[in-house]
Amino acid sequence: MLIELDGVTKTYGKVAALRGLSVTLPEGSIGLLGPNGAGKTTMIRSLLGLIALDAGSGRVLGMDIRTSRMDIRQSVGFVPEDECLFPAVMGVQFVAYAGELVGMQSRDALQRAHEVLDYVGLGEARYRRVESYSSGMKQRLKIASAIVHDPRLLILDEPTNGMDPAGREEILALARDLSHAKGMSLVFSSHLLPDVEAVCEDVVVLGRGRLLAQGRIDALKQPHDRQFEVRVKGDQLAFAGRLAARGIDAAPTDDHLLVQLPEGTRSTVLWETADQAGEQLRALRPRRSTLEEIFLSALAEQD
Amino acid sequence: MPILDQGYQHWNGQLRGHAWRWLTISRQGARAQLKNRWVWVTIIGACLPAFILSGFLVLWGLFEQKSSLLTPLLFLFQGLPEELRAGPRGYRTTFWTLAFNQFLDIQLFFAMALVLLVGPELISQDLRFNAMPLYFARPVRRLDYFTGKLGVIAAYLGAIMVVPVLLAFGIGFAFSLDPLVFRDTWRVLVASLAYGAVVVLSAGTLMLAISSLSRNSRFVGAIWIGLWVVSGVASTVLNQTIHKEWCPLLSYTANLTRMRDAMLDSQTSWDKVAALFQAGQNQLRQAARPNPFQRRSGRANFSVGPPPPPAPPTAGGSSATNARGPWQTSSYPWQWSAAVLAGLGVLSVWILATRVRSVDRLR
Repeated sequence: MLIELDGVTKTYGKVAALRGLSVTLPEGSIGLLGPNGAGKTTMIRSLLGLIALDAGSGRVLGMDIRTSRMDIRQSVGFVPEDECLFPAVMGVQFVAYAGELVGMQSRDALQRAHEVLDYVGLGEARYRRVESYSSGMKQRLKIASAIVHDPRLLILDEPTNGMDPAGREEILALARDLSHAKGMSLVFSSHLLPDVEAVCEDVVVLGRGRLLAQGRIDALKQPHDRQFEVRVKGDQLAFAGRLAARGIDAAPTDDHLLVQLPEGTRSTVLWETADQAGEQLRALRPRRSTLEEIFLSALAEQD
Repeated sequence: MPILDQGYQHWNGQLRGHAWRWLTISRQGARAQLKNRWVWVTIIGACLPAFILSGFLVLWGLFEQKSSLLTPLLFLFQGLPEELRAGPRGYRTTFWTLAFNQFLDIQLFFAMALVLLVGPELISQDLRFNAMPLYFARPVRRLDYFTGKLGVIAAYLGAIMVVPVLLAFGIGFAFSLDPLVFRDTWRVLVASLAYGAVVVLSAGTLMLAISSLSRNSRFVGAIWIGLWVVSGVASTVLNQTIHKEWCPLLSYTANLTRMRDAMLDSQTSWDKVAALFQAGQNQLRQAARPNPFQRRSGRANFSVGPPPPPAPPTAGGSSATNARGPWQTSSYPWQWSAAVLAGLGVLSVWILATRVRSVDRLR
């Protein structure tokens, strides 16, 4: 297992950031979802052994989070949400410094810094001072400094916060590539659902320091029995009218109709309606929950 | 360049243990400070006293050997007391002690200035740019972090206080051509190095603590100037108005100076020099006084040409209420200064432990 937490509790004064959190996560790319204040950052800090837990235990990559903090930090790469770049340092120096702090030899760190800067697309900016970098470049620099020692697990805390669409897409592509093509396990913390969906296979939903939902995104997105996405060749609105005449709700959504069948009705009624209207069905599939719906329903259950 | 073009290679190198992680922080910090030209100016300025110290030790070595190389400079030595000219080796420890004492006295100014230039950014910059996760999300303990930052200050102070002492000692040793010089002067070396360590530890931890108090490096620098200059002025003013023995304790540099005096036992050396010159002056007075009944054969050929010896320093006449000359050490116990410096050290460690608490805080 990649991560195991058992009854982890952490409070800051009267504020409980984590309340008996127990979760087991497999290797792969894991999205960490939750609204602000859900405990995502505290969970990440507890994984890295950065905070003293009030109760509970856990293991990361098989190492105890209470007794093997340094070993965990040596095996894990962390991209914090904060900018955490100090000025007057060139990009390549910054990444090499990060490598040396993990324990790499100076020469190895420098050589590896060049490699990872090429990989994240900062090869041509490596000799520029970091304060001259754009937001997207700084974010990529942080990722480069987190992967300089080739960690088994990379933790990204809100990596796309405050980025423009192009920069955000670059970060997502980078995270996807690391996870899917380079075999690096990922914990991707975000409150942006599309970002998590674009990168991760598994998801953990936190709320008020508790686990609200967990599992593979594909499995969580359950198909609905009586909701279908229907696309026809001809006029969609006219087809929706014919369905309404039969007592079936059909709402146009994007390029298709979202159809809600009444109780006791089967999907064959859609074929019959199309046949009667001389219409051709181009697509018919059960609707699946979106990640947003999963997230919202988990939060609703919490309340 | 499009992202991901270069691919990604896995790395199978060996990672080092945690023992020397602080050195990485020190090295990076020291390298970063070298970009400040004022740091260079201060270091170069601090080399001048080191050259003077080395020059003095070379001259002393030649003087001990009565080297012919000193012939052009003989006029410098003619005013010295006869006892000193006859047996300079007997005063070797004394003059070495005073030479190192004066050197370290001057270097304290450069040390304070260098700490002012190098220190303020050390922690305040990390706080300002939220760079703590850069360290603590990696296998770096707080102790490594503090030691690494202290190492930056230690590197610069060592360059102007410890390295010159070692070099000057080596040069003095080499020019003495006498293996016994080590027996006579090793205490001076050890005391000088120990004093350097005290300055590094005290000024280093104090500056780190101040640096952790603010995200603004200018405020940190202002606090340091206050501690250095204002405390010295306040101490002097109090000294001249209320005349209390403890007044020098208010000055940070006066406490360091008191420690140096105690470590090098410079008062004993000053007393010895004072007695030497006093004796020399008495001899001169006696020789100058006409006495028809008593003629001293040793003085019959005394030349009246050389200048008279300088007035001797007043031994043991020091008082905290008077302005101090270089030959006067403070009269209060050195343990008081040690206690003040230790108290500042404990306070600094407490501030550091409180202000830099990893990332275990609620944002």
